[in-house]
Amino acid sequence: MKLLLRRFSTHLHDTPYTAEVILETGAKINIDRANVDAVRADLIIDVPKDKVERVAELFREKGLEVKKLMKLIAWDETRCVHCGACISVCPTGVFKFDSSWNICVDDEKCVRCEVCVKACPLGALACVE
Amino acid sequence: MTGTEKSIGEINKRIEDGSVRVVTADRMSEIVSELGTEEAAKEVDVVTTGTFGPMCSSGVFINFGHAEPPIKMQRVWLNDVEAHTGIAAVDAYLGAAQLSEDKRMEYGGGYVIEDLVAGKPIEVKALGYGTDCYPRKELETTITLEDLNQAVMLNPRNSAQRHEVATNSTDKTLYTYMGTLLPSYRNANYCGAGALSPLFNDPDFETIGVGTRIFLCGASGYVAGAGTQHSPVNNFGTLMVAGNVKEMNVEFLKGASFYGYGVTLYVGIGIPIPVLNERIAKKTGINDADIVTEVLDYGVSRRERPVLRKVTYEELKSGLIEIEGKEVPASPLSSFFMAKKVAEELKSEIEVGKFLLSLPVERLPTDTVCKPMKQTKELPLVKDVMIREVKTISERASIADAAKLIMEAQFTHVPVISKESKLVGIVTAWDISTAVAKRHEGLAEIMTRAVITADSEEPLELVIRKLERYNISALPVIDGDRRVIGMVTSDEISKLVGKRKRWQWKLRI
Repeated sequence: MKLLLRRFSTHLHDTPYTAEVILETGAKINIDRANVDAVRADLIIDVPKDKVERVAELFREKGLEVKKLMKLIAWDETRCVHCGACISVCPTGVFKFDSSWNICVDDEKCVRCEVCVKACPLGALACVE
Repeated sequence: MTGTEKSIGEINKRIEDGSVRVVTADRMSEIVSELGTEEAAKEVDVVTTGTFGPMCSSGVFINFGHAEPPIKMQRVWLNDVEAHTGIAAVDAYLGAAQLSEDKRMEYGGGYVIEDLVAGKPIEVKALGYGTDCYPRKELETTITLEDLNQAVMLNPRNSAQRHEVATNSTDKTLYTYMGTLLPSYRNANYCGAGALSPLFNDPDFETIGVGTRIFLCGASGYVAGAGTQHSPVNNFGTLMVAGNVKEMNVEFLKGASFYGYGVTLYVGIGIPIPVLNERIAKKTGINDADIVTEVLDYGVSRRERPVLRKVTYEELKSGLIEIEGKEVPASPLSSFFMAKKVAEELKSEIEVGKFLLSLPVERLPTDTVCKPMKQTKELPLVKDVMIREVKTISERASIADAAKLIMEAQFTHVPVISKESKLVGIVTAWDISTAVAKRHEGLAEIMTRAVITADSEEPLELVIRKLERYNISALPVIDGDRRVIGMVTSDEISKLVGKRKRWQWKLRI
């Protein structure tokens, strides 16, 4: 399960909050993506399903906003022409053809790098929260 | 006439009485390999082909009808996308690849064409210069497809027989008309419908020629002639096609945009091939393993790009191809799913008697080749403008040495070289100021190591592109051993380009 963590305040800047949560829960967390700028930090982490609730609760206690990402990549099937421009650029193999050359999307593999969003000529892909 | 030969008249009679036997081109490949060409020619009357891909060389001729008072449109925009005028007063040609004035690459001709077919209202603005017969100078209105007298799609180059495969050797992502190309051969993109492709099923243009009736974006269209750059000698045949936009189906045409390149139109084309004899049956039996194309390195932005290898559509469709010992993911930009849908749609139209076949009124040329452009006024090469007296500095030098050199030589950029005289970095006057402020000592600490360089034989246009892309103002020219042989600076280029006579584009009338 992927969680979007967001912190606005800078007072957390020096706190190793991810490490603390990992140590406290023993959850094997993968950081898929981290965007840090002057105003905020957005992290997308992958958490084993059985520990999601506890991990989310701890991050919230530490002052971060936590959101479960139900949809990692939004695919507009009505716009898609099933060309395949998204397939070769995706680093994690989210997109595949089925036997009749229809695009299938394996949302769970997505790390939200957004390369496919640019690569889709039909504008059928988007990263949403 | 042997038992396998039939005429177009016989086939059309079978279409009319409902006894015609139609298969799609991919199925024909199987039939030919199962039954052989003789049986296949007896069993099958028509093979339907299909392709659905981005085709920039597409557009629509529009006649708006006359305004009151009338205007001679000197310039006209549809949803802020300019159409070509310069023909009669209210005729214009809207090109698929034209960008929106305001939204640039996010909207353009291809999208306007899709919106027209979808029945959406389109904002029209036009300017004229005013004459006794066409006094009006400005016009604004909203139209839909229905309101136009004519909207005729005329695509100068569609349905290319063969497409190249694109990959990228450089360390930067490239955004091209062949899609996003990741660095270091991390992916490869290709186009074309393989065994379903119209022209590969009739490579000698026996049945596809001027006047051949085709399926064009859901409408019944025609082959108008050979497409531009028609180059059958190299298996690069192309078609010019025409069809009535008012009869088109929005499912079979889509506006699209390739990031960093621009707007285009996905066009669905299906061509029926009458199986008149065993020879045609054999040709339509082609399969993906028979169709060969080339993998090109788009990292080289020249007309002649290096060919890395040959590859078949069978290998491409497996999703992985090998390039220089590496497994590279390959995916198409055109849609096999939609190509098959086009071929199936055409098949059912023929089966229900809605679509009759025609033979060409004239054959397409089979001996033409596509020539490169004749260029008479060229920008010079790098070697013609580079500064040859270049001061370099050793990587072991101090910041003070570099500062002194920059001051004395009056250069803002100094290439840094190793003790073997090879280029290892570059320092600028700005770097030196930063180094002084931050109290750095050695040059090696502050120099830029990833230096953008030029080759002395490179056209200056490519260097200008590098300067713009990397936002730099000078770059070293190196030889094969990475020895610095010159510098190109934006100052020198501006002097030269300023001297060129340039077109003065009229932006407003």
